[in-house]
Parts: sequence; C-alpha cells; structure tokens
Amino acid sequence: MNLRYMTKELYYQKRRTLMSILGLSIGIALLIILNSLSLAYRQAARVPLQEIGADITVQRSGDVPKELAGPVFPCSAVTIRKEEVEKIRKLPGVRGVGTGLLLWVFDPNRAWIVLGIEKENSIGPSVLRSSVTEGRFFEDGKPEALVEQAYARQFGIRLNDTISVADKKFPVVGFVDASRAAKIAVANVYLPLKEAEDLAASSKELQSVSPYAPGDVNLLFIKADQEKITGLASEMKGILGDKATVATPDSFLKLLGSLFALSDKFTVAASLIAIIVAVLIAFKTMAGNIAERAREIGVLKAVGWTNRNVVSQLMSESVIQCFMAGILGLLIALVASFGLSFMKVNIPIPWEMSPTPHFLPGGGDQIFKTLRLPVHIPWNLAFFAILLSVIIGGMTGGLLGRHISKIKPSEVLRHE
Amino acid sequence: MSKSTILSGTDLSKKYGDLEVVKGVSLAVSEGEFVCLVGKSGCGKTTLLSLLSGLEKPTRGKVTLDGREITNSSEDELALFRRDNVGFIFQSFNLIPTLSAWENVALPLFPIKMTSEERRRRATELLGKMELGHRIEHLPLALSGGEKQRVAIARALVNNPKIIFADEPTGNLDSSTGEAIMGILNKLHKEEGVAILMVTHEDELAKTANRLIRMKDGEIMS
Repeated sequence: MNLRYMTKELYYQKRRTLMSILGLSIGIALLIILNSLSLAYRQAARVPLQEIGADITVQRSGDVPKELAGPVFPCSAVTIRKEEVEKIRKLPGVRGVGTGLLLWVFDPNRAWIVLGIEKENSIGPSVLRSSVTEGRFFEDGKPEALVEQAYARQFGIRLNDTISVADKKFPVVGFVDASRAAKIAVANVYLPLKEAEDLAASSKELQSVSPYAPGDVNLLFIKADQEKITGLASEMKGILGDKATVATPDSFLKLLGSLFALSDKFTVAASLIAIIVAVLIAFKTMAGNIAERAREIGVLKAVGWTNRNVVSQLMSESVIQCFMAGILGLLIALVASFGLSFMKVNIPIPWEMSPTPHFLPGGGDQIFKTLRLPVHIPWNLAFFAILLSVIIGGMTGGLLGRHISKIKPSEVLRHE
Repeated sequence: MSKSTILSGTDLSKKYGDLEVVKGVSLAVSEGEFVCLVGKSGCGKTTLLSLLSGLEKPTRGKVTLDGREITNSSEDELALFRRDNVGFIFQSFNLIPTLSAWENVALPLFPIKMTSEERRRRATELLGKMELGHRIEHLPLALSGGEKQRVAIARALVNNPKIIFADEPTGNLDSSTGEAIMGILNKLHKEEGVAILMVTHEDELAKTANRLIRMKDGEIMS
C-alpha cells in the first residue's frame, strides 16, 4: 500500500471519493439514528418510574366499598400484606423496596387524596423530600401533613394551618410541588406512613372490602437489577395473584405505541436494512469507481505490481473512504439527534396508577408525563458504526480488488 | 565479441478461439540491440510483443527472457520479473492521471521497500535526463503529448531494465515530437546499452533500428 498514491487518488478523484463517502455515510447515519431513537424511547419509558427512584411499581386491584365515606382504598390499589412485601423483598434481583399507602378520604365537605409515605427511603414517594417548596419535610414520630402546593393555593390552605383528615388533625408543615415530578404517587396531602396506616386500620368501610392491618401497604416501589426486571415482574405477579398490576419500563414502552417502542425486533430489522443499504451503496459506488480504473490497474500490473499489491492498494483506499464515511455518518447522526432531542414525547400513565378517583371531575382523563426525547449517541454505538464502516470498506475493497486484479494488462492496454 | 541473447521466442502461437493471431513465430533479441517489429494494423505485432514481454501467455511455444523461461510462470512471478527486468512504453502513454510526473516515473518502485526520498531522487534524475526537470510536480493533464511520452520513457527506465518493449511509442504524437522521442530511444540504446523491441507501422521510424522484422498475418516475413 502506497500512502502517497492513495491520498492523491482520493484527493484528485473528488467526485468518486465524495460519492462513495456520501452514499455510505447516509446508511451509517440511518443506522445510528435508528438505534439512538430506539434507546431514547427506552430511556423515556424509564422516566416515570425513575422519578420516584424505582424500576418497578406494584399494586393490586380490588373492590371499592358501596358507601364512599371516610378513608377507602382506590379500586386499583388494595391491600398488599406485610408477608407478601417480605417475599418480594427477598426475591433475587430486588435491590430495595419503598412503600406507600394511598387513600381516598371522603370527609363530609371534602374529598382528599392522601398518600402515606416513608420518612427516609431513596425508593418511592419519600423522594418528594426534594420537592418541598416551603416549610419542611416530616420530623420523626409527629402527626403532621405536607400539602400539594397547587391544592393548597386552590383551597386557601396556609403553612401552619391545621387540616382535618378523617376527623384527625394534622398541622401543615410544608408545601410540596410534585407537578414536575412523576405523575404517579402524587396526592393532595402527604402524611407519615404510620398516620396513614392508622387511618386505614380504623376505617370500617375500607376493612369491609379489603382487610387491612398496620404494616400492610397498597403501593410498592422496587429498585431492581436491570437485566432481571422482566423476570421479577412475573415472579411478583405469582406472589400477588392475577389482580396484581406490575408496571415496568417495558410496560410504559408498550403504552408509547411508537414504532421504535414496539419492539427490539423492529430496531434490529431496521438496522439490518440500514446496514444492507450501506453495504450495497458502498459496493455499487466502489465497483463503478474501480471499473473506471481498469486501465490504470493494467498499467500497475504491467510495470510489476503483483495482484497482492493491487488488492492492498485498492483495499486501503476503500477502508479510508469508508472510515471517512463512518465519521461523516456519525456527524450527520449527531446533528439529527440534536434536532430530534427537541421532540416532545407524552408517556401515558395507566389509569390504575393515577391517584385521582375516576368519578371525580377530571379523574377519568388520561394523564401523561411529557418530556423531551432524550436522544443521544452512546459512545459504543458510535464506535460500532465506525468499526462497521471500516469492515465494509475492507470487505468491499478486498472483494473488488481481488476481482479487478485478475484482469490481463494486455487486454486493457491495447491501444485504440 | 558477439552479444548474448536477452530475449528469445520459439514457435510462438496465440489463438483467440478459432482465430490464430500469432502463428509459430520465432525470434531473438540480443543485449543492447534495437529491433523494430513492423507490419500493418492487425497483423499480430502487438500480440507478439505481449507474448514476448510476459503480459500474455502463448497458446504454444516458449519465451526466454534474460536466460529464464517465463512461459509457465505465474502471474505474480511474471509481474515481479517485469518489475526487475523490463520497461514498457505505450502508444497512449498510460500515465496515472492523479500522480505527478515524478510519481508516475516512480510507480514501479511503489511496492518496493525504499524511502520516498530515494524514489523521488531516482525519478527526478531520470526526468532530468528527459529534460523534464522543471515539470516533476506537474500532473499528466498539464503536460504535452511529447512530455507525457518522455515521462513514460523515464518510467520504463526507473528499474534499470535490460530490455524495453515499446508499442507504437510515437503513434499519438505529431511527426516532430515523434522524431524527438525516437531520438531519445536511439540515445538510450546507444548510450545506455538497453535492448529495445519496438512495434510500429511506420517504416520510416523503423529505419533507425539495428534490425527490422516484418510481420504479416501473424507470421514473420523477413
């Protein structure tokens, strides 16, 4: 391989070089963009759960009491017993469990959505500690309440006011702004878990349809090993029975309904098509380029270049062109992914995970978590694309070089 | 003192399908001899030149070049043999359009392990002899027909060949440029002692050679 010859050939045959580079770069860019988009949708599908520090949420559906009075469980979240929680906690792959107790409290003049939360846990709704906008978070052992900021504004609730929930008084110690956080596990009023447990345990209406004892919960937030999430979801369904609702990033991905979100198979198939298109473009352009150079190859052979000399020269030219095509493809993909990252995606939150009673105004509306599509190109995808370009270059140059090196110089050098 | 034979072809035939282009030709060229192969277009002289230079294999017969029989050599063996012993000059110059004059001259040296400076020095020296010292960085496109052919001659000499095969070297040039090129070839043959086997259809050009071989219908007439 002669570097001087190669660079001059690529530099002076600008049209040929550009055609080859452009053709292949489009295929490579397509491959990178498709995979980045697929990754972006996958990441977006994780966001609702990630925002409450979990990978999986677990609920169990059940019945609502005939009479809605005092604290009741939403029909989508009834009792999960302490023993069941322990079984889930011990499953291999479970790295941590957060709990919550969601209640609808029907007081004579007001209905509250109340969420009992743990004081300290990085998994689950206790992450709302960082969403306190005014006042403070709970202190140990005190019966106090946090109120959602918008709700407090709507009903004129002020800091240090005392609110009455199911005939129990709670001083308001802080306001929480969960509007930018996950759309799941949000409520009007947040109480320490123990206070919510007491409310649930003392409610006859609730006990009549879903027996409850302190220590039981109705919302589970689980941090798990990424590769075990799917398996864990089925195991949890096995523990909790048919009525269990287990939400994972995959279930959100399915709700997205986008082509990219539908399945890995689509991405693999589309990527394969992109690779095949890239290879065909590279092969066709370079075959044309090399055929144009038959006479030149004849000269090389006549003056003493062996077949191997010819093949390695053509292969090196092809590898360099394809490497440049890979770089250009990556640049095109970077620009495209920057543009695509402005795209908004609405992730629908399943109704079972919506805390608002569907029979209240607005309760039946589909809620969405809206976020910018997190499109980025991971370094391993970029590296793979460049490596693939070089391999395509090597194979194309090698195959075409071997073919053209078989020409007889006497045939192509005969004067006109 | 008689000179030894550098090239010999014995009973050479070449068939393309049923068409026999070269028919049982035998000829020899001595060291430093200038031989002209003359004949009308289509008489088989270029095919004979290809057979003798190892660019093509004969259907029958054998070729011996510098004491080595090359008829049964592989393509790569022939290429290496040509690189070390043979120079070519073509009618249409066959310069690589993307390479400068000196790089075209150095083309046969590219696969050989040597420094770029060494290649450039050798090529520049030969271009100087061809009175093209001022054109070494020019691309073929910027050279006249005569200059291109002089670059091609320099390329044929870059490997210090024992014999040069020239196929209609003045065919694409006007008469005065053609004469100049013939002058260079004669000078090479006389001063450097390089054997030359030249194919031409112009009798006038052939007169300067030591020996003239006439071909007709694939056979040697005289």
